[in-house]
Amino acid sequence: MAQPQIPVTVLTGYLGAGKTTLLNRILSEQHGKKYAVIVNEFGELGIDNDLVVNADEEVFEMNNGCICCTVRGDLIRIIEGLMKRKDKFDGILVETTGLADPGPVAQTFFTDDEVKARTRLDAIVTVVDAKHFLGQLEQGDEAEEQVAFADVILLNKTDLVSEDELKKVEGKIGSINRYARIFRTQKSQIELAAILDKGAFDLKRILEFEPDFLHHGHDHDHEEEVKSLSLTADRPVDPDRFQKWMGALLQLRGPDIFRSKGILAVDGAPRRYVYQGVHMMMDSDWGTPWKDGEKRSSKLVFIGRNLDGENLQRGFNDCLK
Amino acid sequence: MKLDLSNPAWQQTLPPGRPVAADAPTAACAFSKDGSTVAFALGDGRVRLLPADINAAETPAAEPLHGGAVLALVGDPAGDGFVSGGDDGRLLRIAADGTASEIADQKGKWFEHIAAHRATGAVAASAGKSAFVVKGGEVKEFGPHQSTVAGLDFSKDGSRIACAHYGGVTVWSIGQVTLPPRRFAWRGSHVALKWSTDGKFVATGTQENDIHVWRMAQATDMRMQGYPAKVKSLSWTADARFLYTSAQPVFTAWPFSGKGPEGKPPLQFGEEGAGLISVVAAHPAAEFVAGGYDSGELQLGDIKTRRSVVLKMADGSAVTCLAWSPDGYRLAVGNDAGTLLVLDLRR
Ligand SMILES: [Zn+2]
Repeated sequence: MAQPQIPVTVLTGYLGAGKTTLLNRILSEQHGKKYAVIVNEFGELGIDNDLVVNADEEVFEMNNGCICCTVRGDLIRIIEGLMKRKDKFDGILVETTGLADPGPVAQTFFTDDEVKARTRLDAIVTVVDAKHFLGQLEQGDEAEEQVAFADVILLNKTDLVSEDELKKVEGKIGSINRYARIFRTQKSQIELAAILDKGAFDLKRILEFEPDFLHHGHDHDHEEEVKSLSLTADRPVDPDRFQKWMGALLQLRGPDIFRSKGILAVDGAPRRYVYQGVHMMMDSDWGTPWKDGEKRSSKLVFIGRNLDGENLQRGFNDCLK
Repeated sequence: MKLDLSNPAWQQTLPPGRPVAADAPTAACAFSKDGSTVAFALGDGRVRLLPADINAAETPAAEPLHGGAVLALVGDPAGDGFVSGGDDGRLLRIAADGTASEIADQKGKWFEHIAAHRATGAVAASAGKSAFVVKGGEVKEFGPHQSTVAGLDFSKDGSRIACAHYGGVTVWSIGQVTLPPRRFAWRGSHVALKWSTDGKFVATGTQENDIHVWRMAQATDMRMQGYPAKVKSLSWTADARFLYTSAQPVFTAWPFSGKGPEGKPPLQFGEEGAGLISVVAAHPAAEFVAGGYDSGELQLGDIKTRRSVVLKMADGSAVTCLAWSPDGYRLAVGNDAGTLLVLDLRR
């Protein structure tokens, strides 16, 4: 029997960025919704109620031997367990620890059939500490990767920095991931509707939105750096060729590609084909129908390391009718 | 023991039974040791008790015993009640009259798996990365394992327990003499476990849609692949000749007599359900088997004659648990929508 899929929001962010404040607000405010919150440090939250579930961040590698194909086994069990409760949830939030790679969490929702049947990954929300972000980038890959994975970014603690500093931080975020929606916040104050249950990774926005973050001239364009790019096409996509190309691309380059998402105008199909991937794992579905007379164009977005835009565009062009 | 599935009556009417609507997902069901009571573990914290005799007066629903969902339940091997575990982190002993007493409290963890050993009266339960053995009022911890315990079972003689986790299985001896645990390694996440009824094999289902079986004596292992979904339900026949597995549209039994199942296809029989078998339970004595489907049907089969009958439940919700009565004449069934059913199969 088909059940509604519960939207899942993954909440990441460096230590001290403001995740706990946000979670406490979600649990304590009167918003008329019921969210299960899966956390790693039980004690951190000021609130002790049965909607808070303690997780152990148990990552395991799939048997294919690939380093990027990792899944959170504890999350699979917890989601299955939550589905045994009589009271259902409007949403599920999964917090990752400050230094964790959000990849395994997101991939869990593409991998396990039972989890996929009952839940859908709605968005990855990253809380960024406006004051410390640039410093955190120097300390390792985590802060950069958390921004790379994000669909939504809360640029938090904006009251602690000047407008100039904020612009600099936003520029840096844009150079990593141009496609995340940024909200400036203080004390994680945000309308919850802006970040929860956005629907299919806010894919509509991807298609319509092409930001001009191209002015970060002082950055050297190192190959190794994480960046984002988009590919577009006005001719219809051949679904077989696309599947083959994308499958081979993710198989080969999956560890470097943190996120890929797209909306495609498939040859002869009345509806949009929407897809999203994390590393090598992806999920796709038919979206809303094209309107009469609407321009049917396709767009793909990649966020990762060592991305060669020209090469990718050539590959995509070969998938067109 | 006589359940004649060739009897034409089976094809025409459902066997007599008692259906009860509980209005909460059912995680587990069990008969008491004396066979007089059935219990269902429910998603609202209740443990619903019903008389095994379908004509006896219905026991009224009691207040919730657990804070969240009841996740695991067995018949108490040391009494005529039950032992239940919940996502409130509590392990409870429930007397036949429904009164409960706390055995253990692991706040912040879930008691997810429980096994019972009839002859010794011991109970093993897992919360988080550890297993706990309860015997004669004593609770002893085994672990922690490298990851959360995802299934556990007793050896035939009750002297050991096996725990499934990432990377394989750990076997602990639970007697007075403390022996070092034995590890049986296989990469990946193991999500279900059953020790064979003759004590010779330990079988697991894995996250990657296959099953893994270790021979305990030689510590050699085998893998059976080709399932379209995770195998979360495993059931050995009473004579240990077959291992039934879920996640197929028909009954699927691996032969373990003679040289074992290696290089052979499994024995498959029965009608195809609309979905896959989600729970399978071999009969406690004879060659019968019951299977519940994720599409809601119930099927009974006889491996000797390969006969089977399909029984439709009232709604199409996934069957989540099955339990045979100790005498093998009654079957308890629970589903995701909270339909509880006790069937009397004597015809
Ligand atoms: Zn990979």
